[in-house]
Amino acid sequence: MTTLTKTEGVPAQSDGGDPFLSVRDLRVHFSTEDGLVKAVDGLSFDLEKGRTLGIVGESGSGKSVTNLSILGLHNPEFANITGQITLDGQELIGAREKTLERLRGNKMAMIFQDPLTALSPFYTVGRQIAEPYMKHTGASKKEARARAIEMLDKVGIPQPKTRVDDYPHQFSGGMRQRAMIAMALVCNPELIIADEPTTALDVTVQAQILDLLKDLQQEFGSAIIFITHDLGVIADMADDIMVMYGGRAVERGTRNEVLHAPRHPYSWGLLSSMPRLTSDVNEKLSPIPGTPPSLLNPPTGCPFHPRCGFTDEVPDGRCASERPELEPGRAAACHLTADQKQTFFIEQIKPRLV
Amino acid sequence: MNPIRSRTTRAIAVAFVAGSLALTGCSEGSKDKKDDKTVGQENAKEQQEALTFATAEESTGPAEPVKGAQQGGTLTVYSQDDVSHLDPGQIYVSDAGLLSTILHRGLTANRVNNDGTKQVAGDLATDTGLTEDGGKTWKYTLKDGITDEDGDPITSKDVRHTFERQFAPFITDGPSYIQQWLAGSGTDYRKALPDGPFKGKHLPDTILETPDDKTVIFHLQSAQPDFPQALAMAGYAIVPEKKDTKEKYDKAPKALGPYKIGEYKPGKSLTLVKNDKWDPATDSVRRQMVDKFYIEFNHDPGDIDKHIMSDRGVDQAAIAFTGGIDTSNVPTVTKDKAMMARTIQGYQPYVWQLNMNMDRIKDKKVRDAITYAIPNGELVRIDGGSYGGEIAGGLLAPTLPGFEAKYDPFNKLKKPTGDIEKAKQLLKEAGKVGMELKYAYANTPIRQEQAVVIENALTEAGFKVSKQEKDQATWYEQMGKIKNGLDLYMTGWGQDWASPGTVIPPSYDGTQIQDGASNYSHINDPKVNSEIKRISAITDPAKASDEWNKLHHYIVEQVNPAVPLYFTKQFMIQGSKVGGAEYNSFTSYYDWNKLYVKK
Amino acid sequence: MLQFLLRRTIGALVILLLISAVTFVIFFQLPGDPAYLSCGKNCGPAQIDLIHRNLGLDESIPVQYWEFMKGIFVGRTFEIGQCDAPCLGVSFHSREMVWDTIVDRFPTTLSLTVGGFVVFLVVGLGTGMIAAWKKGTLIDKGFSSLSLVLSSFQIYFLGPIVMGLVVWNHGWLDAPKYFPITDGVGKWFLGLLIPWLVMSTIFTAQYTRLMRSTMIEQLQEEHVRTARAKGMSRVYVFFRYATRGAMIPIVTILGMDLSGLLGGAIVTELTFSLAGIGRLAVESVTNIDLPLTMGVMLVGATFILLLNVVVDAAYAYIDPRVRLG
Repeated sequence: MTTLTKTEGVPAQSDGGDPFLSVRDLRVHFSTEDGLVKAVDGLSFDLEKGRTLGIVGESGSGKSVTNLSILGLHNPEFANITGQITLDGQELIGAREKTLERLRGNKMAMIFQDPLTALSPFYTVGRQIAEPYMKHTGASKKEARARAIEMLDKVGIPQPKTRVDDYPHQFSGGMRQRAMIAMALVCNPELIIADEPTTALDVTVQAQILDLLKDLQQEFGSAIIFITHDLGVIADMADDIMVMYGGRAVERGTRNEVLHAPRHPYSWGLLSSMPRLTSDVNEKLSPIPGTPPSLLNPPTGCPFHPRCGFTDEVPDGRCASERPELEPGRAAACHLTADQKQTFFIEQIKPRLV
Repeated sequence: MNPIRSRTTRAIAVAFVAGSLALTGCSEGSKDKKDDKTVGQENAKEQQEALTFATAEESTGPAEPVKGAQQGGTLTVYSQDDVSHLDPGQIYVSDAGLLSTILHRGLTANRVNNDGTKQVAGDLATDTGLTEDGGKTWKYTLKDGITDEDGDPITSKDVRHTFERQFAPFITDGPSYIQQWLAGSGTDYRKALPDGPFKGKHLPDTILETPDDKTVIFHLQSAQPDFPQALAMAGYAIVPEKKDTKEKYDKAPKALGPYKIGEYKPGKSLTLVKNDKWDPATDSVRRQMVDKFYIEFNHDPGDIDKHIMSDRGVDQAAIAFTGGIDTSNVPTVTKDKAMMARTIQGYQPYVWQLNMNMDRIKDKKVRDAITYAIPNGELVRIDGGSYGGEIAGGLLAPTLPGFEAKYDPFNKLKKPTGDIEKAKQLLKEAGKVGMELKYAYANTPIRQEQAVVIENALTEAGFKVSKQEKDQATWYEQMGKIKNGLDLYMTGWGQDWASPGTVIPPSYDGTQIQDGASNYSHINDPKVNSEIKRISAITDPAKASDEWNKLHHYIVEQVNPAVPLYFTKQFMIQGSKVGGAEYNSFTSYYDWNKLYVKK
Repeated sequence: MLQFLLRRTIGALVILLLISAVTFVIFFQLPGDPAYLSCGKNCGPAQIDLIHRNLGLDESIPVQYWEFMKGIFVGRTFEIGQCDAPCLGVSFHSREMVWDTIVDRFPTTLSLTVGGFVVFLVVGLGTGMIAAWKKGTLIDKGFSSLSLVLSSFQIYFLGPIVMGLVVWNHGWLDAPKYFPITDGVGKWFLGLLIPWLVMSTIFTAQYTRLMRSTMIEQLQEEHVRTARAKGMSRVYVFFRYATRGAMIPIVTILGMDLSGLLGGAIVTELTFSLAGIGRLAVESVTNIDLPLTMGVMLVGATFILLLNVVVDAAYAYIDPRVRLG
């Protein structure tokens, strides 16, 4: 980490009191044989209870690494993690393994992307759901089993009393994801991190799962971090949206703000590259040109500048030399002026999105 | 004893095998070697002394005591393989022959006296036999008080049974001298009693007569002066008629000797315990000193050496059964004075020769050329050096009467590296320079190494050698085929008793050429054939011995069917608490009737 | 399950039938006639014929094979006595019932293989797990390089070294010897300790490395991470999740190593002068002993086939995905 790197702006403070989850200047660096990989490089955000934060970005933008850091699942031997992660007033970075173990699956839980590989093939679904319940609540085997059946029922598995003894491979893809959700929610966690939980599912199942998550959130009032690269899903789920690029947040705002008036050229790119039902089949999608930035050797200045179509609009070549900051609150890390951002979006991008 | 078709032979061969290393790397050993050679020659001198027949008085027990002998203790014996046979009728191989010296008894027995002289003595019989017609009829009288291990007395009926059962089809491994002398040569004798005595038929009195319980008379077809020696073979030890279980007897024979089978776990171990029904007063050959012989099988030669060399615990009172010191361990043993004091040495009755197939190499000059070319010294060096063998000048072993230590018609002793010049010259005279020789050798390390030496020598002499490697396990079977398609191959042969009459006829009689027979060179010389017939009929042993030696000269010099290579020697080590350790040239192992355990 | 067993049994029987037929045919193609080994000095064609008759070698090969196979199911009668089913004939060489000989030797080989198996499994998997747990540390590096060195220590090389050191030079232990376990567990254990350690050295080293790499792989599996995300402790996840997953490749390799283990037993028996099936196999071949060769082959093959069923069962136990019906 260099001293030249400026930190991101702090998100707008919500009214009164500390936020439920607060991430400040999070940096996750991995030492590899090729050099230092800055997977997350100075990320800050807040999340309140009962709200859903959607994180979007390409692969390698640091979404998953961020969330594994919250759970403390990186191997400290290989990952160098700095900054602050506070959950309900408790500092997580540097916390003892035992402390983290007590929180994981209990106060904070994670729903993984691919339930086929994320569930152990060796144990019954019931046992895998019951395991954290027993550990965190001290329940007996019998109680835990009853709880597992209850959870399976809650996530909509038919005949939960018999399915509880099935192995994951005996479940369909959607059922497995439901089981995964049941496993994550078994201890009523206050923070749920869902890492692309619907990517592996077909569209109808996806909708059911999303509804399920929303229902459960309403019931328990949990905070949800929802990671996806699918803006459609984000539109459905998130209250707030954070767009990540190259290990940093590049734009932040409410769902409507980011989806309807995005201010960062990268966000424009994301929106343009998304197919729409209403669009003409002959119309070409406009993918973002170029490839995601190397985390080993990130570009100078704005990390997006090699792929950005608007660098000429910024004087003095600042895009290539100076890294734009993310201001607090509703903001985008870009050297374009606020007017430029609005004008370019309305004139050049929006027409293509209709 | 038959060194040929047995696992034991293989064990012996193996024992000498790794030997290529022995003594070769030891340059300062020349002086030791010389000493050793002198000792060896003394051994030979002692061993070649003609044995005598003990008188009736000398045949009476008990045996002369062993100096310093102590009673009791268990002697542990290590062996690679299980004993080949326990049924006397099947015993021809040296391991079983060794056991039979304390287990079984025959009408006569071999014995080495305390002064080193060797005798054939009356064993169950009062003497070595009476003959009044020059060896055609032999009469024996049984001693009193002889019983089997159950205490049942042995009578002439048991003797008759013993010889009649030799005709039964299941007896195939044992010697057949006496059957042939009684009832016909080859396998013709079997026609006289095809089922043995087991279906109620017996040999007529004109062949085998038992006028009373104590007397047995053998009527041979021709005079056999060596009859008492043949009787001393393990194969002719007595099997009590009532105890004979035929095929099953091989696992549970009844002992007449000082030891009987205590526990036999086939393939694993054999325990011999004292036979309390044995009466020392009837036995001039055997003693009963140790309480128990515990023989354990499945020990490889090197492993046996390690046990005994380490000399710890039970191994202090341990010996090898038939295995000599592995050549890899010879240097360690010979350099250690204390260990050397725990060894025995002596000549074995075996002679290695390089057979020349006379069906294929018909020109004597060629055979002579081959004979001159072979570097015997090299071959001995590879097979264990001076502890493993000694260069042979002729084809008769030092253990035979009339052995001529200086007999050396092909300069084998004078030129141990071979006489290539002479070989070249002879080959040129024969007009066969570049002649191709098909040379076979067994697939063991020693034979492989020797093959290289032989090939080089013959090539240098002007032959074109094509080598063929053959399976060791079936070596003699392959070489024994008349149409073996080979020119040169090594075989070994040993006497059955100390007479060239047990060596020359089986190896050089041209009337005996057939598949499986032991005339490996296929020599069929009219003079040799007629001489064998003539000398076999000579009843005076001393004269016969002379005549055999003359025939030996004729065979080697005038016919030359096989290159004399080397005589083999035995070199064994025993634990420090083994007393009475002595080499017995009849068995070519320890004399088990003299062994005791020191306290 | 029943159907599975039935299918496996029929398969095994077919394999055994094939092995027996092939062994029988090959035996008669090899040079060497067992009759010559008990022919005495007075050998000749007539004598050989007689011995062939005694050994039952005078019949045609198919008839001999039929007699042999029939004997396994209904028994046979020999001069030396009745041979009850399963009768594997009488050894040409020792003239013992082959079945009795094998039954007598089997405990030695079984003790040897099972003991060696336990040693390399416990030590090999144990060190592999420790190395994986301590990945990248000195302990890991130590174990890894040690196993690399030891994985080339063949039995016939290591055996004499250990014997020289432990037995001959210092007398810390007696030379290895098999005692039935009924003679006392301690005696049995000490008697076979050296062979166990020596025969399992290579396997131990190989399984250390295998276990280490598989465990490291398993620890990166997503379901292992899931378990950690649930709050399960590192130790719990290591043993319950990663180890379970690691057992699958281990059992696969184990299945393939079984015959190697039996081969190791042969070398071990020869190296340490133990009387087991392996030594019997070697002897049966050198002695051109058809019934014993057949017996050892059939018993050895049956043993391996049985172990393979055990391996399959272990699979089903470890991995519910391959569990049957």
